Amino acid sequence: MRGAAKRGGYLLLGVLVLLAAVAASLTIGSRPIPLGEALDALLHPSAGEAALIVRELRVPRTLVGLEVGAALAVAGVLMQALTRNPLAEARVLGISAGAATGVVAAIAFFGVASLAGWIWFGLAGAALAGALVFLVAARTRDGSGPVSLALSGAAIDAGLGAVIYGILSIDAATFEQYRFWVVGSIAGRTPAMAGQMAPFLAIGLVLAVVTARGLDALALGDDAARGLGHRIQRVRLLAAVAAIVLTGAAVALAGPIAFVGLAVPHAARALVGAAHRWVLPLSALLGAALLLLADVLGRVISPPGEVAAGVVTALVGAPVLLWLVRRARTVTA
Amino acid sequence: MIIRVGPASFVLHRRTLLVTIGLAALLVAAVVVAAGIGTRTVPPLEVVRALLTGGTEHDVIVRELRFPRVVLGVVCGVAFGLGGALIQSVARNPLSSPDVIGVTQGAGLAATIALTSGLAYELVAPSALAGGLLAAVAVFAFGARSGFAAHRFVLAGVAVAFALRAGIEVVMSSAESIDALRAQIWLIGSLNGRGYEEAGAIGLVLLLALPALLWAARALRTSALDDDTARALGVRPAARRLGAGALGVVLAAAATAQVGAVDFVALVAPQVARRLTGAERPPLVASALAGAVLVVLADLAARMLLAPTQLPVGVLTAGIGGPYLVYLLIRRRR
Repeated sequence: MRGAAKRGGYLLLGVLVLLAAVAASLTIGSRPIPLGEALDALLHPSAGEAALIVRELRVPRTLVGLEVGAALAVAGVLMQALTRNPLAEARVLGISAGAATGVVAAIAFFGVASLAGWIWFGLAGAALAGALVFLVAARTRDGSGPVSLALSGAAIDAGLGAVIYGILSIDAATFEQYRFWVVGSIAGRTPAMAGQMAPFLAIGLVLAVVTARGLDALALGDDAARGLGHRIQRVRLLAAVAAIVLTGAAVALAGPIAFVGLAVPHAARALVGAAHRWVLPLSALLGAALLLLADVLGRVISPPGEVAAGVVTALVGAPVLLWLVRRARTVTA
Repeated sequence: MIIRVGPASFVLHRRTLLVTIGLAALLVAAVVVAAGIGTRTVPPLEVVRALLTGGTEHDVIVRELRFPRVVLGVVCGVAFGLGGALIQSVARNPLSSPDVIGVTQGAGLAATIALTSGLAYELVAPSALAGGLLAAVAVFAFGARSGFAAHRFVLAGVAVAFALRAGIEVVMSSAESIDALRAQIWLIGSLNGRGYEEAGAIGLVLLLALPALLWAARALRTSALDDDTARALGVRPAARRLGAGALGVVLAAAATAQVGAVDFVALVAPQVARRLTGAERPPLVASALAGAVLVVLADLAARMLLAPTQLPVGVLTAGIGGPYLVYLLIRRRR
């Protein structure tokens, strides 16, 4: 099958791009470290300054970037398939806003002042908001169909946004901490945090893989999917849980990073078509690569300062997305 | 019910008519209440007298302090409601609103640059208008390929919107903090301290757009058809989408340039109008009225909720419009 060979080629290309991004993330920064030295520091723990930078700063940052980028992109695929809407992503389904509300509550009401503490509040907030969106959608006429899901998400996102603004506008001290979380960054995260979120990401990825065939069927419409023997409510529920867990963990870890979940699935579909067994892995690879490259660019773009990855992702990714849109073939979810 | 006026005829659904009249009545009530409530509350009848005849003791408060702001709320609500209805019909996507296709961000980026580069304050709104329109032109140019298909248009909008949003962040982070704060306040959007001047600017655009709106109201009737069916009926779907979409963008950009990003109105008003009337696609007049009601009520809440602190109206349109949309979504279960 030529098609499969071509798609396999794109997957391989994705792996290579990701490896290059990892290498860039380990070596480039305010103190450039040659690749050989960086690898050496990884393999042979020594006390040198370069080794310390690689192990203590760059490795955790790279791991977090891999986790968050892959999680956001896979969650984006799931949400776009669930809503059959090319605009669906963490923000549209209210999950980012849920995580943000959790973090604001942690700062304002529970006096939690560290990133490590915010993670759990962010995850809980994302899960609650995601569950709320799906409960609302399930109570509408078309039972968590694409349009109700998208609109419930947008409505709850807006409502939570207003709540957050209300709290922040009367509590300047909270705003002062919150604004560093809300830009979306993978800097300053510890290996412990990356480890805490890993189980959630693993669960989410497994669920995503399990639902891949069901999602393909959903794209044909509810009736056709039922006719093919899929239990569509179960597929929807599993995919929704996966999307919420993945996004919740990613946003809790890195703050709301918007562009990855929206754009990467479209890029992946433009390359390998709409079948989820190809789109999911390629999106994971490209999402991680995009976030890492954006983070690397953010380190060098305006020295001596750094620009948060959340800002740079759109700068890096938008031209690529526009190029893909201009091509004759685009594939919707 | 079919109405014929000379050669023109159009179908009028009874429910759409009733909902539209109901929304209009609600808007009048909202205007009177909003002009009456404040640090000094004026009873509704007195408000009406002050507005119509004048010569009451509340003339200054009602006519000069509150009414201009209420009028601005009505006008920008109408512009956002119409703009959102047009854009959603063209993109065939209930999530598409001016901020999804880059208009808000284009206006925001232009305004941010104007505010942080020390340009005269009078030039901020025109720059924002130009920025919003330029962004839309870019989206149309990228999305124009192969008959202006809906998903391509939406995706091009997303890419442009995110790139511009990142541009705003970059400009903000390199600006003096006092300028960045002013830009931030502009971006959130507010009716505070604004009035007839801004309302006039939006109103002028609405007036000029009126003939085009009448055309769009007819043209959009075929927008729910697929392209092949539309072509078979002798319609040029791409040209119609382009025209209606451009009109929606102009209205949304005009409103955004004057009051900032109050754009959740443009998402929620058409959806509320569509659900109230039970129509297939967002009805234009009802969307406009729903937008106006939402902005007037939200601005009233913005003034009063934490008085004397004034909240930005955009926060309240989201805070009121979001839950109401959820209520409509749930209520219509059968």
